Amino acid sequence: MSNVIELKNVIKEFKVLNRHEGLKGSIKDLFSRDYKTVRAVDGISMTIEQGEIVGYLGPNGAGKSTTIKMMTGVLEPTSGGITVGGVVPCRSRTKLAQEIGVVFGQRSQLWWALPLIESFRLLKDIYQIPDAEYDEMLRFYQSLVDIEPLLHKPVRQMSLGQRTLSDILAAFLHNPKIVFLDEPTIGLDVSMKAKIRTLIHALNQEKHTTVILTTHDMGDVDALCRRIVIIDKGKMLYDNDIEHLKGFFGSYRTLKIRPEEALSQAAEAIAKELPDFRVSADEEWISILVDEEKQKVLDVLGQLQHTHVIRDMQLEEISTEEVIKKIYEEGVQ
Amino acid sequence: MKLKKYLTFTRAGIIEALQFRLSTVVMVIGNLLYLIVTYFLWKAIFASVNNEPIGGMTFYDTLIYLVLATALNGFMEMYTVWEMGRSIQSGKIVLDLLRPMEYRKYLFWSYSGGFVVQFLTTFLPTFIVVTAVTQGAVPLGLNLVWFMISVVMAVSINYSIDFLVGTVCLYTESIWGINIMKQVVILLLSGATVPLAFFPEPLKTVVQYLPFQSIYNAPLTLLLNKNPEPLAILTTLGTQLLWVIVMLLLGKLFWRVSLRQITVNGG
Repeated sequence: MSNVIELKNVIKEFKVLNRHEGLKGSIKDLFSRDYKTVRAVDGISMTIEQGEIVGYLGPNGAGKSTTIKMMTGVLEPTSGGITVGGVVPCRSRTKLAQEIGVVFGQRSQLWWALPLIESFRLLKDIYQIPDAEYDEMLRFYQSLVDIEPLLHKPVRQMSLGQRTLSDILAAFLHNPKIVFLDEPTIGLDVSMKAKIRTLIHALNQEKHTTVILTTHDMGDVDALCRRIVIIDKGKMLYDNDIEHLKGFFGSYRTLKIRPEEALSQAAEAIAKELPDFRVSADEEWISILVDEEKQKVLDVLGQLQHTHVIRDMQLEEISTEEVIKKIYEEGVQ
Repeated sequence: MKLKKYLTFTRAGIIEALQFRLSTVVMVIGNLLYLIVTYFLWKAIFASVNNEPIGGMTFYDTLIYLVLATALNGFMEMYTVWEMGRSIQSGKIVLDLLRPMEYRKYLFWSYSGGFVVQFLTTFLPTFIVVTAVTQGAVPLGLNLVWFMISVVMAVSINYSIDFLVGTVCLYTESIWGINIMKQVVILLLSGATVPLAFFPEPLKTVVQYLPFQSIYNAPLTLLLNKNPEPLAILTTLGTQLLWVIVMLLLGKLFWRVSLRQITVNGG
C-alpha cells in the first residue's frame, strides 16, 4: 500500500492583531503593530494510505479546516513537511488540483445558474476528462443514485440535499486520488444523510479513492470510517481504529431510563445523586454514562429505583458519540 | 485541447447569461435613461457656447462618441472587483483556487461568455442604430478592423486593472470604497463620460500616457476617425499593446505576491 498523504510535524501559526475594546481601542487598532501569534495546528503527523476513509474529527476551532487547507495547498505550513499525492501542495497547487476533489459543506463549487449537466460538462473540460471515462463515470453515478432528474435542473433550484449530492458527484467526477469532504451531511435530513453515506462508500470502494472526512455527525463516522483522527486545539489526540478507541472505554455502559416524573427534573435530581457520572436527557430517555470500574450498572439501577419510579430501561455499549465527547473533554489517558 | 479548457467557460457563460433575460432588458433600459440624461446635458453645454464646436467636436460628434462609449461600457464593465471581493469575504475563493488553472485566467474566462452576449445584445444593436441614424458619421471601412483589435486589447487592459484592484481586497477585505474610486477614475480618465478632446491641454497630455485612455478613447477614436494617418493608428494600437503587457505582468506579479501573503498568513 502506498501513502498518498504524509504529514510530518506540521505546525501552522497565524499572526493576529491584538484588538482593543471600545471606540478608543478601535482607533488605536488602526495604527497598532501589536500582533500575537496563534498556533492553529501544533505538530501534527500522520500518514494516510490510498483507499482509506479517514474521519477527521475535533470540536469547532480545533484546526481541522486549517489542516485541510494545508493539505490542499491553499495554506502554507509554518514548519513541517506535507506531501500529498507525491507533491508539496502549496508549491504545486494547480497541478495537485487535478488529483484532488473537495466538497466544503456549505459552499457549492457548481455553477449556480446552470443545469447540473452543464456544470459536469464544464468540469469535464476543465479537468480534461476523456469522453470514455466521463461517460463511464456518469453511468456509474446513475447506477448509484437516480441522477437523471437532477441533471437538467439548475443548481439554484435544488434542495440542499440535492445540491450536496451533486457537489459530491462533481468532486469525484475527474476520478481524483483524494477527496476532501468537509461536513458533507450538515443540515440534511436522515434519509438524505443515509443516501450520501452510501454514495461515498460506493465511490470509495469502486474507485479506491482516499476520502478525508471532517464531520460532527457521528453517524457519518460509524457508517464510513474505520480509522479516525481526533485533534483539539491544534494537537493530535488520537489516531487509530474506532474499535480500538472503544476498547479504551470498554468499562463504560450507557444506562437509559424512563422515569415516571418529568424528564428534565428527574435528570437534575439524578445528576445530584450520581456526581461521578455524566447524566443527560433527551425527549425520551435519561442517559447515564456509567463507568463499571467505579460502580456496577445494576447497582446504579438499584440505587435509582429507591428514589424514582422507573417505567422503562435500556442498556447500551458506549456509542462513538460518547467516546468522542469524552475524548474532547478529558483526552486519552 | 488546451484552448477547449478555457472556451468551455465562454460557452457556459453564454448559457448562463441567456438564463437571465430580464436582467438584460433592465440593463438596456438603464442605459437608455443614461443616454437621455447625456443628451440633454450636452445639449445644454453646447447651447451655452451657441453650438460652436468644442475642442474640434460638434454636438453630434460628441453625442455619437458618448452613445458608443456607453454601449462599450455596457459590455466592458465586468464586476470582477465585486466578484473577487465577494469570493474573498465568503471564503469561496478557496474553491476557486483549487481549480486546475490560474485564478486570473479562471475568472477572466468565466466572464468571457457574458462579454459575447453583451457585445451582441447591447453594443452591436447600438452601433447599427447609430450608424443608420447618423448616415455617414461613422465611417465603415478598415477602421472597423482596427476598432475590433483595439477593443480586444481594451478588454484585456480593463480586466487587468480590475484584477489589480480586486487583489487589494485580499488585504482590505472590504472593496466598496476602492472600487468606487476605481470606477470614477476610469470613467473620467478613459474618456468614457467626457471625450478627451474636452480636457485642458496639460491634463490631456498626462492622460495620454496613462493606461485608462486605452480602454475607451483609443477604440472609439479609431472607429470614428474619418481620415486617419497610418502613423496615428499605429501609435494608438502600439500604446495599447504596451499597456496590455505592462498591466498583465503587474496584475500577475501583484497577485502572486499577495497570494503568498495569504497562504502564509491565512484568510
